[in-house]
Amino acid sequence: MASIIAALKQASYAYPHTDRFALKDISLDIHQGEFLGLIGPTGAGKTTFCLALNGIVPQFYGGRFFGHVTVAGLDTLDHPISALARHVGVVFEDPETQLVAHSVENEIAFALENLKIPREEMLPRISRALEAVRLEGTEKRHPQELSGGQKQRLAIAAALALRPDLLILDEPTSQLDPVGAQEVFATVRELNRTLGIAVVMTGHAAEELAEYADRVALLVGGKLVKVGPPDAVYGDVAQLETCDVRPPQVARTFYLINRLRGAESPVPVRLAEGMRRLREGPAIEIAGCYAKCVETHSDTSASLLSVKDLHHVYPDGTRALRGISLDIRAGEYVLIVGQNGAGKSSLVKHFLKLLTPTEGCVQVDGRDMREWTVGALARRIGYVAQNPDHQIFNATVWDEVAFALKNRGWRKAEVEGRVIETLSALNLLDARDRHPLALPRGDRARVVIAAVLALHPDVLIFDEPTTGQDYRGARAILDITRDLHRQGKTIIVITHHLHLMPDYAERVLVMGAGVLLLDAPIRQAYHAVDVLRSTYLTPPQAVLLAQALGNDVPLLTPEEVAACVTDKNVKRET
Amino acid sequence: MNTSRQSEDLPQSELPAGEEREVRRLDRVAIDGAPIAYVLVLAAVVAALAFIPIPISVVIGSGKNFPMSQSIYPLVGWLLGPVAGAVADGIGALVGVIVAPHTTTSAPATVLGAVLGGFAAGAMTVKERRAWWWAPLAGVFVIFYGLYAGRAVFINGAAARDVLLGSFINWSALLLFVLPTRVWFARLLAERDLKRIGIGLFGGTWIVAGLSHLATGTIVYAILNWASEYWLVFAPVAPLEHLVRCLVGAIIGTGAIAGLRATGLIKPTYAAY
Repeated sequence: MASIIAALKQASYAYPHTDRFALKDISLDIHQGEFLGLIGPTGAGKTTFCLALNGIVPQFYGGRFFGHVTVAGLDTLDHPISALARHVGVVFEDPETQLVAHSVENEIAFALENLKIPREEMLPRISRALEAVRLEGTEKRHPQELSGGQKQRLAIAAALALRPDLLILDEPTSQLDPVGAQEVFATVRELNRTLGIAVVMTGHAAEELAEYADRVALLVGGKLVKVGPPDAVYGDVAQLETCDVRPPQVARTFYLINRLRGAESPVPVRLAEGMRRLREGPAIEIAGCYAKCVETHSDTSASLLSVKDLHHVYPDGTRALRGISLDIRAGEYVLIVGQNGAGKSSLVKHFLKLLTPTEGCVQVDGRDMREWTVGALARRIGYVAQNPDHQIFNATVWDEVAFALKNRGWRKAEVEGRVIETLSALNLLDARDRHPLALPRGDRARVVIAAVLALHPDVLIFDEPTTGQDYRGARAILDITRDLHRQGKTIIVITHHLHLMPDYAERVLVMGAGVLLLDAPIRQAYHAVDVLRSTYLTPPQAVLLAQALGNDVPLLTPEEVAACVTDKNVKRET
Repeated sequence: MNTSRQSEDLPQSELPAGEEREVRRLDRVAIDGAPIAYVLVLAAVVAALAFIPIPISVVIGSGKNFPMSQSIYPLVGWLLGPVAGAVADGIGALVGVIVAPHTTTSAPATVLGAVLGGFAAGAMTVKERRAWWWAPLAGVFVIFYGLYAGRAVFINGAAARDVLLGSFINWSALLLFVLPTRVWFARLLAERDLKRIGIGLFGGTWIVAGLSHLATGTIVYAILNWASEYWLVFAPVAPLEHLVRCLVGAIIGTGAIAGLRATGLIKPTYAAY
């Protein structure tokens, strides 16, 4: 057994002004060279756990602390944060908020300068850190010129230059596209293996954590519910779902197969093992379930949003869109996917007149965009931007949702009724008097969604609405989009979380490098694996499992795959 | 190290198993109880607001506007306390006059006004052991007023009535600083109700920005030595300018205090909110 690098003994913590414990009686040893995945629903205390390991909790926030946390033998309440920082590197969720310097090498030098590392030692450390995260040659570049995955790797390099014994990554991939996330996971795993740095990583990326972590700890309501190898934790699908934690799709698929067969065999938690089990299993009659999956979709309604040969070039010369042509009809539910920088957000911003075409034309309701004012479009089309913080500016949740309604001159009673209705729908009524920015990111996103929904627009565009959400939160948001869709609204969702969308979206636009690569019904699009991979997207595990079945079966979800394998009826909503 | 707070708030059954520990800030990087990071962030805000001119002023400065930073000198003092507030305001104003010299007339006067403003705001609070800090500071401002008005009346021969009218914002601020109003406004900053906080910020900004203006104005008057007739021109315009200064301070301050409370960041030792 490797030596212990961090130890929590009956550690409990409550933030100031609250009696609720964010952490409660946590006892856990983290060993040198270990990769520990920390999972749990939003509000479970994952971030607080991370901050407790470098003393920011409680030294920066205050509050009440019980028990002991030691890192590299240093008690986190008896040693200053600056001393702990020499042993613990931290990388947070949003790479944008962690980069402060004007060049890559200065970014890494920043922390070293603060620790008074001599210049002659600093330079080789910078080189080695960049080499470790495979960013050599970018020393002089501005961090903002890097891709999302590269930015996060730079943040890791900055932490790594301090030569920490323990590297903490708090949801480091939630803002990244799948390829960026893969870059980060591969980098962290390599650092963990080659340099022996202990890693604690939180996140909702179940498939990746199952693949890379040595142990997984399940945190719920501030309490440590389970710790063990990924097979033990992710294999207990029933417990995870009780705790609102999403298991890897392969685990859920085999869990459902077990349930349908009345079997109790261990479920695989990694894709390769699942594929092997399927291939080695008995031959499956798939014709029946294929027939049940065939979709019928009619496009008879009029075009609501129309784009013809749309090009957009940003002032810095970046060609964001290159000849996009498409029509979106009233009442459609459209999913737009593609790598970071594929042009997804640029495309939808044309629908709001936040961008104007460099070439080509955009029409809303058959009228050229030049005939629309931004205000008129805002009343027709609601837009929930990628970063909720960019849309929050009021002091309470209530005021945030009521703001636009008041500005439309609604009477007080009408405003109150609509705000209560919307906050209830998003489960935010209890937070009505809280400052929006004091809420967790997932709740902040729901506040912004509530503010937009309160206006009852005809078209709703959601740009990465599930980022930072746990499984339950993500499903709650998407359930709202489905309800709105059923009410006849037109829904456009941009997301990298392909595994969440089969129950919701009908049509998929796959974009890459400013070009529309594919416009197809969801089953066809999800099974166009080569097209998805060409824009650095990874199909959900259920799709890959379905392809392992052979015979071109366009299944999308663990439920469908399990039903097919067990020759049961396919359960899916239309 | 251990404390006996365990039994204060929670029922025994809900208490954690571990022993309660005393929570302290161990980093030395603080100025008078205010983390250095807060001081630098607020100094940066002051410097940034020096770029934004409010186009109302004809009183001092360029004769066209005054920088928005003047509105938050008091706020910085209330957020950080007297010493750290003065440091943050001073650094911010110094950077401001360098990067945005078009919004100032005399750089030393601007920096001095900012430092005294931050300190005066912090000294309005009623923390024990510092409850008397306002008194010598009031003495300093009385001297400033003597120099300001004395120069006008006794050296330049301006009518005393005109000088009183033209310097209304300054002597009214001094009066409100000496009277218990100083404490009333400071206490409002600690209220929960945002409207009452806004009133406290407005009244407090009237006092502190008026005193800061007095210190700056005394030096600028010594440099420009404007004609006696100007005092009457100032009489209606200076309060209007000051009103805007206070409104801006109240609006920014209310949002800042609401946000700081909501985020639960550790509060500087001598903060007034």
